[in-house]
Amino acid sequence: MNPVPDIYRILPEIILTLTGVLVMLLDASLPLRWARRPLGWVAAFGTTFALWASLWQISLPMGTGFSGTVETSAFTVFFHVLICGLVLVALLLSLDTLPEDSHHQGEFYALIVFGAVGMCLLTGAVELLLVFIALEISSIATYVLVGYRKNTARGPEAAIKYFLLGSFATAFLLYGIALIFGATGTTEIYEIARLAPTAPNHSLILAGLGLMLVGILFKVSAAPFHVWTPDVYEGAPSPVVALISTAPKAAAFALLLRVVYEMLPTLRQVWSPLLWVVAVLSMTVGNLAALRQTNVKRMLAYSSIAHAGYLLAAFAGLGNDGVMAACFYIAAYAAMNVGVFAVVTLASGYDEKLPQIDNFRGLIYRSPLLGSLLIFFLASLVGIPFTGGFFGKLTTFSTAISGGAIWLVIIGLLNSGLAAAYYLRLALAAAQRPSGENVAAFAPRVGIAVGAALLLAVAATLVLGIVPGDVLRAAEAGAHTLQAPPAESGEPGNAVELPTQP
Amino acid sequence: MNEINNSILTLILLLPLAGALLVLLVPDRAKLPNWIALFTTLATFGLTLHLPAHFDKTQTGFHFVVNLQWIEKPAIFYHLGVDGLSLWLVVLVGLLAPIGVVASWNIIRERRKVFFALFLVQQTAMLGVFLSLDLILYYGFWELSLVPMAILIAMYGRKDGPRAALKFFLFTFIPSAPLLVAILWLYAKTGSFDFATLQLWIASGALPAGALWWVALTFLFAFSVKVPVFPLHGWLADTFSEAPVALAMVVAGKLGLYSMLRFHIGLFPAQARIVAPVLVGLAVVGILYGACLALVQRDFWRLMAFAALSHLSLITLGIYGLSLTGWEGAVYQILNHGVVDGALFLLLGLLYDRYRTSEINTYGGLAAKLPRTATFFVFASLAMIGLPMLGGFVGEFMILLGTFTGVSKGWAIVATLGVILGAAYMLWLVQRLFFGPESKLATSKPPDDLHVGQLAILWPLAALMLVMGLAPMLWLSTIQTGVHPPPRPRQAVTTQYPVFLQGGCAAAMYEAPQLVATPELAAKCESMEEGQR
Amino acid sequence: MHLILFLVFAGFCLAGAINLLLQSHPINSALSLIVVMVSLAVLYLLLGAEFLAAAQVIVYAGAIMVLFTFVIMLLNASREERTLGSHAALSVGLPAVVAILAIIATVILHTQGLGVARLSDGITSTEELSAVLFTKLLLPFEVTSVLILIAILGAVALAGHDARDPDPHENRERTGEK
Repeated sequence: MNPVPDIYRILPEIILTLTGVLVMLLDASLPLRWARRPLGWVAAFGTTFALWASLWQISLPMGTGFSGTVETSAFTVFFHVLICGLVLVALLLSLDTLPEDSHHQGEFYALIVFGAVGMCLLTGAVELLLVFIALEISSIATYVLVGYRKNTARGPEAAIKYFLLGSFATAFLLYGIALIFGATGTTEIYEIARLAPTAPNHSLILAGLGLMLVGILFKVSAAPFHVWTPDVYEGAPSPVVALISTAPKAAAFALLLRVVYEMLPTLRQVWSPLLWVVAVLSMTVGNLAALRQTNVKRMLAYSSIAHAGYLLAAFAGLGNDGVMAACFYIAAYAAMNVGVFAVVTLASGYDEKLPQIDNFRGLIYRSPLLGSLLIFFLASLVGIPFTGGFFGKLTTFSTAISGGAIWLVIIGLLNSGLAAAYYLRLALAAAQRPSGENVAAFAPRVGIAVGAALLLAVAATLVLGIVPGDVLRAAEAGAHTLQAPPAESGEPGNAVELPTQP
Repeated sequence: MNEINNSILTLILLLPLAGALLVLLVPDRAKLPNWIALFTTLATFGLTLHLPAHFDKTQTGFHFVVNLQWIEKPAIFYHLGVDGLSLWLVVLVGLLAPIGVVASWNIIRERRKVFFALFLVQQTAMLGVFLSLDLILYYGFWELSLVPMAILIAMYGRKDGPRAALKFFLFTFIPSAPLLVAILWLYAKTGSFDFATLQLWIASGALPAGALWWVALTFLFAFSVKVPVFPLHGWLADTFSEAPVALAMVVAGKLGLYSMLRFHIGLFPAQARIVAPVLVGLAVVGILYGACLALVQRDFWRLMAFAALSHLSLITLGIYGLSLTGWEGAVYQILNHGVVDGALFLLLGLLYDRYRTSEINTYGGLAAKLPRTATFFVFASLAMIGLPMLGGFVGEFMILLGTFTGVSKGWAIVATLGVILGAAYMLWLVQRLFFGPESKLATSKPPDDLHVGQLAILWPLAALMLVMGLAPMLWLSTIQTGVHPPPRPRQAVTTQYPVFLQGGCAAAMYEAPQLVATPELAAKCESMEEGQR
Repeated sequence: MHLILFLVFAGFCLAGAINLLLQSHPINSALSLIVVMVSLAVLYLLLGAEFLAAAQVIVYAGAIMVLFTFVIMLLNASREERTLGSHAALSVGLPAVVAILAIIATVILHTQGLGVARLSDGITSTEELSAVLFTKLLLPFEVTSVLILIAILGAVALAGHDARDPDPHENRERTGEK
């Protein structure tokens, strides 16, 4: 039997759930006039604890728990740590930037933490049903968070849009799961991997894969499933955007890696060209559209679409290398993107009275710290060496070239040259001398919590850019566990069997 | 001593960075950032002087090598080294840094911390380009050098900084994207980013020739924009007229030219030879075009920009003449151009700061008011146009000689015409700025000639120009070790490519097909070819 | 009997879906969606998938639709103006829908071994399902509670009044849902 208690396999998730419940209950029981800010600290503390627990999980032998539905391996630990870190940064960011009198602050923190449960679970799930439920948890939490600024016109609009399109995408995913279940008779990823090459209904698997890809690519906002991104990012509160542009995407990419590299590696000749096309589309569409934006958050939304494209380039890489590069790029992208949104949050405020690029003019004169950080993160997004963005691109494109996708890399790097134009526009606006009326604009203040959040993001971006060795090794270890079959754990779990299969 | 030799390059590289951090940490008060920057740059300069002092001229190849693994996979090494080619360029960067600080001393009045911190980062990046022997490390510094430059142009631009910064950045960043593709392709084929290993691979002929041709072209394209070579100079004039003085004196030229020698001709000798005639033609066009446009400019920054285009094209001509004399002359001329430009920009920066205009016509008759400024300006101009006894003469002469004997007499004569035009526009500039009737501008401000600090920089520079003209062998003897083949050829390697050397550039392609390499390299190469079969 | 029920509820389902699209009032559309959900649940029941039917009702007709309705009410959405719709929707959307339907239909029609399932086969009854749910699929089942919790929490957060609104009394009708 399995020597590791099942509960250890989902320890971070349990800690996060308990934290969420605690925050919720405290919120309900605290007197009305008390500030809700300490709840954010509770949530942040719980998340840190979960992060620690995920790190501890690396000492467990790799394997599955709960009858083969959830896995712990270097791969899951990598993503758990990443997601917990991102959630932590988002919480710290919200702590200082949510207005003191804002509504439902307690629920806000609880929702973030519960969303993290879903995301963590998504990366660990090796059972498609669990995948689906985890995805729904993280999605619903984010739908609500997006609509948190109810008194603006754009907030609810964004929430509705995200909710409708998101549900639609999840439906595609579910349909795909159903078709694959129909073809193989199981929803376990390892079982599918074993049965798929010899399954009689090959076209059913293909259709299932295609539908699943639609659902997942929507979540990572890759073109042509990206249309929701700019509206949602514009309407959602900036701390939420810092979260949803990174953590759920990281989780969705983990799922994508699992689906293509672990579940259906034999269909490489099918998904590889598909993802090639999607990668090129995402980069090009994202960058071209971003060039025309004047609103900072919309611009960054298109930039995140483009980055999804760069990331998908890693899927042209073969085996371990591809997974490793993708993992690393996700981490690098998440670090710099959460950072840039943190700065944008501070610079334009929760209510975003100053959302345009022109409003950022002279930021470095108003607040040298924020201005410099903005330029730093933008430089990382451009892919300037000695930042995380550079090594992300380097590993990604280098594996893609080894995988033979030289045109993808040429298109990608030309795109990143194009992208420099709009990042630079913002960076240079921040570096420019402020014009007369803008000098009087408010000078953002940086509190302890936000300071810690920024510090984490900067440190991560720099570490990934200067000494990426450890993270690369972790990503490689993750890649190995993703490829290898899991250690035998108890009875083979194939209780759900399709009756029609002879 | 040995320990210093082992870590000297790292020290040189990191010292400006440490200075930048220090500048960021101290308060922006009482010119504190200026002083820190000055001390850092002087200390760095002192360290760079260690290199020529302990450089073993009898040895070719790389000296002071540091080679540590940085990242396992992809295999990137922290691999630094200098040879005769890069040695004096490193010293030049070290020398220009304090000049840049002095030139910005009074001009930069606000956000000094940001300025000097970024200025120092820029130093690290430029030093890194000259020192790196790992292609990714090299590429990293190459790109890194763009960022402080762009930000500083945007922040301290004279009129329309951001636009010029954007133009500069895009012009130089976009061509380096294909450069990265090319480097990654080489890595995918060879599994190494190491300069010497890649040289071996490329010379062994194991890589597909067609693709290699494109790779070489990509390298060349990125470097040509950075130099710039004639049709790719669109960013130069705007950048010169907007950039702060301290940056304008380093923005063009040496990074690109050095990269051409080391990473284009050095890595792809065969491909370079095919493409060389084109570049020779472009270079000659650039010389004449730059000189002609410089003649008609009304703004002295733009005049300097086109003058720079003309001079840099001359150096490009020396490089792609593919003769040993031309290469030596090219490296020497890079040094000389750096020194002279440093002095000229320092003086022009002072003029601009005092009179707030760069319109040449509004000046005139300043010589009586500012005799010292005028004297130094005339001296530097003479060095720039190649008066015998001054530095410019030696470099230009060697380049033209190399072209005359090695390429074609016609090109050499046309290029000489460009040099004569150069004399015309520089002397006319001097005449319009300092002589003639006294202008309103000259009488509008009280005379305020050079101060002690500026003199302390300018005197040594002037002396240096003189010494460079009188005793060029002080420099050329080291430069030759990077360019020439080793004295005695020992073993043939391959008949396909004429030559390649560890360190330095692949030499003597126009000389007798001597096939030279050190024995261990040859053995390595053979085993590699075995592996290919 | 089964066939009749199937036809009736499949008809309901389709009618609900079409009605959903045609209705101009969002609440009506939402209610039609519930009809669709419930009819689907009945179809599941007809296949003998009792648990699935229940889940359908709870998760979709329950949690998600509740949240959805809350959002609509929050918006105070009234009768919507009919527009002709964008050209993009017509020119890209329709062919895309047709293409997807065609592909799925082709795939399903070409699949062997479909349509031989009998109602008594496999794990379809609640009893068998619950056995699976509490052994093999324990974790997904338990995690569903978090899902529902989030749905409630979200509904409260979105539908509740803003503290910055003039009327603070209605602000605290939250409960410690569990």
